[in-house]
Amino acid sequence: MMQEVLRLQGLQKSFGSVRALKNASLTLKEGEVVALLGDNGAGKSTLIKAISGVFPIDRGDIYVRGEKVSIRSTREAMDLGIETIHQDTSLAPDLSIARNLFLGREPVNLKWLGVFAPLDLAKLRDAASALLKRVGISKKLDADALVSTLSGGERQSIAISRAMQFAAKVIILDEPTNNLGVEETHGVLRFVKEMRDAGHSVLLITHNIHHVFEVADRIIVMRRGEIVAEQTVADTDLLTVESLITGADLSALMKRAQ
Amino acid sequence: MRSPQFSSFVILVVLLVVFGVADGNFLSPLNISNMMAFLPELGIIALGMTLLLTAGEFDLSVGAVFGLAPVVVMLLAQNAGVDIGVALLAGLLLCISIGTINGVIVTKIGISSFLVTLSMLLIVRGAALYITQGFPLKSWDQPGFFVTLLAGSFNIGAFRFYTSLWWFIGLSLLAVYVLRYAKLGNWISAIGSNRNAAVARGVPADAVKIWLFIATSVLAGLAGMISAFRISAASPVAGTGYELEVIAMVVVGGTALTGGRGTILGTIVGALMLRAIRNGIVLVGVPGLAYNIFVGVIILAMLILHALLQKNAARS
Ligand SMILES: Nc1ncnc2c1ncn2[C@@H]1O[C@H](COP(=O)(O)OP(=O)(O)OP(=O)(O)O)[C@@H](O)[C@H]1O
Ligand SMILES: [Mg+2]
Repeated sequence: MMQEVLRLQGLQKSFGSVRALKNASLTLKEGEVVALLGDNGAGKSTLIKAISGVFPIDRGDIYVRGEKVSIRSTREAMDLGIETIHQDTSLAPDLSIARNLFLGREPVNLKWLGVFAPLDLAKLRDAASALLKRVGISKKLDADALVSTLSGGERQSIAISRAMQFAAKVIILDEPTNNLGVEETHGVLRFVKEMRDAGHSVLLITHNIHHVFEVADRIIVMRRGEIVAEQTVADTDLLTVESLITGADLSALMKRAQ
Repeated sequence: MRSPQFSSFVILVVLLVVFGVADGNFLSPLNISNMMAFLPELGIIALGMTLLLTAGEFDLSVGAVFGLAPVVVMLLAQNAGVDIGVALLAGLLLCISIGTINGVIVTKIGISSFLVTLSMLLIVRGAALYITQGFPLKSWDQPGFFVTLLAGSFNIGAFRFYTSLWWFIGLSLLAVYVLRYAKLGNWISAIGSNRNAAVARGVPADAVKIWLFIATSVLAGLAGMISAFRISAASPVAGTGYELEVIAMVVVGGTALTGGRGTILGTIVGALMLRAIRNGIVLVGVPGLAYNIFVGVIILAMLILHALLQKNAARS
């Protein structure tokens, strides 16, 4: 049987009076792609920010490989093998591609100097170039180019290659294909499949249901801060999923219309 | 060659040539020695300010700290009979506290650094005036190790230099290293460029900012001590208006006021440039009361130039 990698139990999170997460539980297994679906404001981003240590949860438990953990910072999440590509933020535009790729995990010489340690610039550049080649970004990008000179799609590809770089156990992608062209979108989906084949678990948030059917193994649907449905992709269809997301029974509506 | 430091550097050279031609005394050993005596005092603060601006914050309290630190040190040593070494240590702790308070309020409570350090300017300047009752202290007449260390002077040929120049050079090299080559510099730029992205990668943004506020305050206090030892006196109004002069040096050098892009070399050029302008326009006969007009116009022209270069770079 596939091993459990991540389990969330009864997560709750409020922002003032807004109860963004009411009672969210889910399990992620090794080598599977789970799509997290839900309308705008359903609480998807809040859920993954809680897992990736952006803010603390109010209540609930998180288990990584069966062990209970508390994730108090983004650093702790990364150290547990959870890499996240956020919807709204990912790169620092004034830094080069190479510096962004290794931000927070810079290769250095003289490690004992702590934050004053000199960057290993040669290694930084070489590793960045190798990575860019591996991800197969269509255009040839220079590792020293500033991120502010890249297109939205190129930036997304960089963020994704960074998650890949550190070969995390769990990769979380929050609407990674937003603002991407056709070719770049396919690049992202291909990347998701590659990660799964390499044994990683992927949690994919998206509003594009076609993408879900293309890459996901399982679907989890959220509505107003709660998880309302869980299905395997093989056992469901587009219409059912759509009605789960909106809460309206679309298939019944369609039947009536006929 | 479109880099902001480089265009600032070209303008600096032009200014030096113009002033040199306009007035023969401008490049005389005496005048150069004079400029080099003043340069480190603002330049040292500008180094800290550059790092802080690169991380997306700034500090308006530096001029007041420049005034308060030597006042406290000399009061302790002169009136309370405290050993000068201990008094200097107390001054250092004072600067660290001021920087910490600035940094903690900005990062943990989330008030903009403009408002926090503006209030701190008033508090610190007010404290300096209150404890001295508004009068300059009596002059400092005890040479010793620390005076030599901070404000000793030596001659090279016809030039007279102060040890503060060494401090400025050493601290500049350190700042260049930190910002360009160290892990910390990568973090500083990333925080100023996109704080959330940096935090998402595990960069301790708040801690870095607090340390930068502390460093800036300590550098302002150090500059204040250097100045007070050089002129053998501490005044509660010393450093008035320095905050804006320092920020001008930094942005004229090409560091972005909005964070993310900082250059220490540019700041050094900016510090030299403002020093040369202040000195040169007096020599060429601009009336003293009019010279802020010139300083303002030159700063504005530099900023317009940077903005145009930036636009061009973005287009190409
Ligand atoms: N930092 C915050 N402060 C206050 N309210 C917040 C905050 N973050 C999210 N919320 C609120 O929590 C709810 C869930 O937001 P969340 O971003 O998780 O939705 P989402 O499912 O990701 O939506 P989308 O598909 O639009 O990205 C929303 O009502 C939102 O307004
Ligand atoms: Mg979202």
